[in-house]
Amino acid sequence: MTVAAEFQQVTQRFGDFTAVDAIDLTIPAGQLTTLLGPSGCGKTTSLRMLAGYSTPTSGRILIDGVDSTRTPPERRGLGMVFQSYALFPHLTVAENVGYGLKLRKMPAAERKRVVAETLDLVGLGHLAASRPRKLSGGQQQRVALARAIAIRPKLLLLDEPLSNLDARLRVHMRAELRRIQAETGLTVVLVTHDQDEALELSDQMVVMREGRILQQGAPVDVFPAPANRLVAEFLGYENFVTSADGTLRTVRPEHLNVVSEPTTAGLTLEGVVVDVAFRGVDRLVTVDADDGLGRTVRLTADVRDGAVTARPGDRILLSADQAHVVTLAG
Amino acid sequence: MSTRRPVAATLAVAGYVIMIVPILFVVATSFTGGSTLRFPPEGLSLRWFDAAVHHTPFITAMVSSLQLAALATVLALLLGIPATLAIHRGRLPGKGLVEGLFLSPLIVPELVVGLALFQQLMIGLRLDNFTVLLIGHTVLMLPYAVRVTGASLALADPFVEEAARGLGASPLRAFFTVTLPLLRPGIFSAALLSFVTSFNNVPLSLLLQSRDFRTLPVTMLDYVQQSYDPMVAATSTIILAGTVLVAVVAERTVGFARIFGGINR
Ligand SMILES: Nc1ncnc2c1ncn2[C@@H]1O[C@H](COP(=O)(O)OP(=O)(O)OP(=O)(O)O)[C@@H](O)[C@H]1O
Ligand SMILES: [Mg+2]
Repeated sequence: MTVAAEFQQVTQRFGDFTAVDAIDLTIPAGQLTTLLGPSGCGKTTSLRMLAGYSTPTSGRILIDGVDSTRTPPERRGLGMVFQSYALFPHLTVAENVGYGLKLRKMPAAERKRVVAETLDLVGLGHLAASRPRKLSGGQQQRVALARAIAIRPKLLLLDEPLSNLDARLRVHMRAELRRIQAETGLTVVLVTHDQDEALELSDQMVVMREGRILQQGAPVDVFPAPANRLVAEFLGYENFVTSADGTLRTVRPEHLNVVSEPTTAGLTLEGVVVDVAFRGVDRLVTVDADDGLGRTVRLTADVRDGAVTARPGDRILLSADQAHVVTLAG
Repeated sequence: MSTRRPVAATLAVAGYVIMIVPILFVVATSFTGGSTLRFPPEGLSLRWFDAAVHHTPFITAMVSSLQLAALATVLALLLGIPATLAIHRGRLPGKGLVEGLFLSPLIVPELVVGLALFQQLMIGLRLDNFTVLLIGHTVLMLPYAVRVTGASLALADPFVEEAARGLGASPLRAFFTVTLPLLRPGIFSAALLSFVTSFNNVPLSLLLQSRDFRTLPVTMLDYVQQSYDPMVAATSTIILAGTVLVAVVAERTVGFARIFGGINR
């Protein structure tokens, strides 16, 4: 595995506040790494240090094996897509995309060709002469992407690139991003707070919280085995149950079933239905489990499943297969 | 005009009438053949225009006013643009205080500013009245320079400079290829507003006048106090024509929507 960039014990403090706390992170070349975590966990701060817009309080950042901790952004050769896109309003789409090439003194004819190719890659060839203001959010986002890709960056950095788009476009653009990454072979670092986005896009996902990395790895490895409760919560696990021996276990709402008899294997819970919410493809049932902890558990049940006719006030028995019960370290 | 908002529409029409009708009276009077400022004009002639352009005190004062307005505008922009950049893009502490300082001349009565300058600079430091007027007008215009150029910067995405840096531009390069073009409409409108404000200013110019240097409005005011002939109307009409010309050129080249868009949007 070739390493494109590396964080070594990188810390960023703002006054007394530690936004990023001694993180170690390796960005593999040619892969898509996502930084995932709740608002304020230090994702943007990390990305900005990688791009050179801010200098770490301590630690080192290597790009292509070279210590670049204090290299200004214009000498890093990275492509950044800002959450607000930051397009140049006084330039046309083609001029925006050609901006970095012009600075690199690329001859006009070649520049024109590269701009056209890049715009075609993002599907915007027909809008080359437009002003960014005239474009939709999704189109502006593609211009920002094209502008960053055109300079053949060592790394493509994306700060919540999809969060300003509507839900449908967002899902469509995930596929687009995957296609573009595959076609260009670029190393991509993408910041997101959307777990589905991270799971779908990443080769490597990095789960952050309060300036620290909680877990990192491929989605197929991280998702079924969250390292601790915080990661599990962030990945959509609910229903945390502490057994008599003190071990913490969790089940996702979609893996709890309504049963008529207790099962021996797996996890069984009994309780009173508090709320039933219809959600289209399924119902979300909230249950007050009566194990003396006053715990609320939630399950989803297929709407076509006639078995779930529970109403608030009913007592029900729930169980999950052993395969779906995740035991957490802490 | 929107018929769904009768009150607003009525007010707008009333506003135009109140602003424009008196101007039309002045313009009509300036073409009179008679020798008093009276409406309706007696006959039609250009004699008062002829008189105005040959009236030496007016010519001298016009040149003075133009000089003062041009210099003060340049000074206000030279001071105001860096201040705007510092307020909007810099990391200086107490930004609010700095901005307040630059906007304060908008609130302090001009007579107070004038009196202060008169006492401190003209009497105290014995500066000549042109220098003091220049300082006074520059101070008066600073709020426009800061506010109006700032408006175009405030509208812009705060990350555009960083985007330019990331694409390979040095800080200086980013400033000239991105920041300055974004500021251009703001600078243009600030210059226009400053120039007009200075050219029309009476309180400061009145207070700080001298026999050697006197602006056009002050000279005209002086003149109407002594003689009540239509030459002043003719002068006003000439100034009006000049202003309209500037406005038309500005509209053609930049567009009012863009000039004043910075303030209204
Ligand atoms: N320049 C700064 N000065 C002071 N505090 C800052 C600065 N930049 C970021 N912070 C703080 O550092 C923390 C991490 O910020 P950061 O922008 O990295 O979060 P994030 O993970 O990107 O969150 P979001 O999902 O909301 O964008 C936040 O609490 C933020 O308030
Ligand atoms: Mg962020």
